Amino acid sequence: MDTHKLPKQKTDRNANAGIPGLEGPVPPPSFAYPQAGPSPQAALDPVLETRNLCVTYRGRGTRQPDRQAVKALTLAVGRGEVFGFLGPNGAGKTTTMNVLLGFINASSGSASLFGTDVREPIARQRIGYLPELTYYYKFLSAEELLRFYARIFKVPKAERDRRIDGVLKLVDLEPSRKRQIKTYSKGMQQRVGLAQALINDPELLILDEPTSGLDPVGRMRVREVIQRLKNEGKTVFFSSHELGEVETVCDRVAILHQGELKVEGRVSELARQHQCSLEQLFLKVIGYAAQPLN
Amino acid sequence: MRSARLPVLILVALLVFCFGSAAWLDLWFQSWQGNRAQSADLLNVLLGDSRKMFANHFFVKADAYFHSGYYPTVFDNREAFQTPHMAEDSGTVGGRNKGDEQAFLGKPRDWIDALSRKLFPSRHTHLDEGGASGDLGNSSGVREIMPWLRISAELNPNDIRTYTVSAYWLRERMGKVAEAEDFLRDGLRANPDSYEIMYELGRVYAENKHDETRARNLWEAALAQWEKQEAGKPDPERALRFLFVEIISHLALLEEKQGNYPQALAYMERWKARSPYPAAVQKYIEEVQRKMSSAGQGHTDQPRQSSAMAP
Amino acid sequence: MSNIVAVSGVVIKELYRRKDFYVLFVLTVIICLIMGSVNFFNDDKIVRYLKEICLLCIWICSLVIAITTTARQIPSERENRTLFPLLAKPLTRTQLLLGKFLGCWLACGLALVCFYTFFGALAATREHHWPLVSYLQAAMLHWVMLGVVIAFALFGSLVFSAPSANTTICFVVVTFILVLARHLNKIALHLPEPRRSVVYGLYYVIPHLELFDVRDLIIHNWPPIAWNVCGVAALYGLAYAAAFLISACLVFRRKAIN
Repeated sequence: MDTHKLPKQKTDRNANAGIPGLEGPVPPPSFAYPQAGPSPQAALDPVLETRNLCVTYRGRGTRQPDRQAVKALTLAVGRGEVFGFLGPNGAGKTTTMNVLLGFINASSGSASLFGTDVREPIARQRIGYLPELTYYYKFLSAEELLRFYARIFKVPKAERDRRIDGVLKLVDLEPSRKRQIKTYSKGMQQRVGLAQALINDPELLILDEPTSGLDPVGRMRVREVIQRLKNEGKTVFFSSHELGEVETVCDRVAILHQGELKVEGRVSELARQHQCSLEQLFLKVIGYAAQPLN
Repeated sequence: MRSARLPVLILVALLVFCFGSAAWLDLWFQSWQGNRAQSADLLNVLLGDSRKMFANHFFVKADAYFHSGYYPTVFDNREAFQTPHMAEDSGTVGGRNKGDEQAFLGKPRDWIDALSRKLFPSRHTHLDEGGASGDLGNSSGVREIMPWLRISAELNPNDIRTYTVSAYWLRERMGKVAEAEDFLRDGLRANPDSYEIMYELGRVYAENKHDETRARNLWEAALAQWEKQEAGKPDPERALRFLFVEIISHLALLEEKQGNYPQALAYMERWKARSPYPAAVQKYIEEVQRKMSSAGQGHTDQPRQSSAMAP
Repeated sequence: MSNIVAVSGVVIKELYRRKDFYVLFVLTVIICLIMGSVNFFNDDKIVRYLKEICLLCIWICSLVIAITTTARQIPSERENRTLFPLLAKPLTRTQLLLGKFLGCWLACGLALVCFYTFFGALAATREHHWPLVSYLQAAMLHWVMLGVVIAFALFGSLVFSAPSANTTICFVVVTFILVLARHLNKIALHLPEPRRSVVYGLYYVIPHLELFDVRDLIIHNWPPIAWNVCGVAALYGLAYAAAFLISACLVFRRKAIN
């Protein structure tokens, strides 16, 4: 359904030859835990890729030093994967997503979507993004909002109505499509967010804490959507604190801590290797020691 | 319960204090000199003395309307006068307003100035001569200045010129004699000693209503007021002398028209003494003397005594 | 281009769904009808004062709509976090900014159509004639002026920290230009150097918004302006609008949005 030609995806890993800092083989991440390794699929056909990505926030004045939010992050997500991007608060997950979405520029390193540098607007043609806090134009109805976003994605007019009907039905907002968003509950606004993320039939869906603030029914709906997308061969990249959900739906996970990639691999393999659940591994990675109760 | 009642009690106490203070302060406020609220006029209460400034602004606005939107700003008036007309308009130089210069603003100083001349009124016109349309036969546009004159009079009832200017245009160009008379009477109520308004009212009766008796009464009253207010001064201003000449000349011509030649002569002598054109007045005097001779009245009748004939 | 038009459509929808325009329009109508009901010397043909009051209301209302609508566009997008899902689409910041400008400008244009239609109807009830060409020229020049003001307000919304500060500064600057800009060259003549050069420099640099204020020509029934003069004035205004927009784009590209 994608009617736009995109630049040919780069599969040659020496494509970065000549670019300062990126010559030669990719250095291994600096963490102590054994890796399950990147999936062969990701290595061949990365939909989302970062190489030595660094993001530094400049401090204000002399009292506030510069803060490195992301340190030499190298990541690859293959086509059709459901990838969980985990870490405690302040680990650098949102900063990484902001770079991928073009909101901020990386201090060094590179990031690409479908082989296109993330700084190019066309890189976002085939993605859908659901932010953690879902706010949309309150004076628009759900249908008008989707029509607006569909126009930005240059969805043909004939196709537009069909897609809008489809996503509204998917997120169960069909009865409220003509009402202004300011009359919606939080759950409905979250569903509008999901609808706008799907309006362009994206091949990659980036979700930032998709189940945050939702009731169990809402969370189940989100899980169903993710599963459905996975069945359709789409790629899902999402961050979450709900490790139980991540364990259920994700193929691979990465755990970030203080800007560094600590663990990456398939969920099942990590559990087998470390002989513990994902939650226990997470706590171990971030160095959390349980306090004795007495 | 106690804690719930305490805020209510405090509130009641505060209200009682406020009402009590207001009752005590009100007595003092009524006698306060600066208390505008005693005035019955809403504008006086709202604006105070600054209403005079607004009144002057609206009078100037009426003048701007008379010139179809073009009026020199304070910045233009600071410039060396481009033409004698500008000098006269600013009040610096006396003379007769011709209104015939084409290059009123002078040459454009830069391209922005040149462009702006085409986007705002930059040609001198008068509303009684057709205004911007240039139709010299059309004088009805003068009505457009009336609202501003009315508002000016409302804001400052003591500005005499507002009444006299309005009355002139109302009766001369708009044919609204009754409205002119009513307006002048409003002005006279606010300014009972104004000889200008009496004179203008006299003109309404003489020229429009053809009631010469009332016109004479009004002009005599105007002359008496002028004598009372201005004659004692060592050198009354040119404008005031001009007004005296206007009053006395109208009285003189009225008396001549009604055949009261001695009275007319008496006025004409006084007119000649103050007129800038005594030779022209002398011709009037000679004409009246000729009429007196032919009527055979020169040696018998004395001029009618009036309050205006005070030495 | 279609992205720009899509963003502008949202801005126009916002204007007619908010109450600002309706309140200001109704206020204008009420003021004009009250002033029109006043009797001045029993003459019902007096019309110019009414035209002046109506046009003054239109100018004030249009500036309020233009500046307040524009000043809150980018800041409210950032504050309400609607900017993020928007920029996550294949939309550049330049397209977003141009879309906001076009939307505000078109929205103000629609508001002007309503206002000037009311003005024309009001004047026609007393004058019994309709100088359409003059009204069209006045509306067009007014619209171009609003374009300059909107571009300036948009630039200000990226430079100043708060929308209230931007709004206040825009109103002050626009009022200063409308009242004094025409006379700066005369003021400069009376100043010693170096102040004279500074004021003259300011005179040439600032956009002369008063060039677009042709109310006096409409009120006093002056003949229509030559079309080439209108064209030059329009180009002058559009050049300034473009300059402000380019500056805004350059600032926005470098600005962190979170």
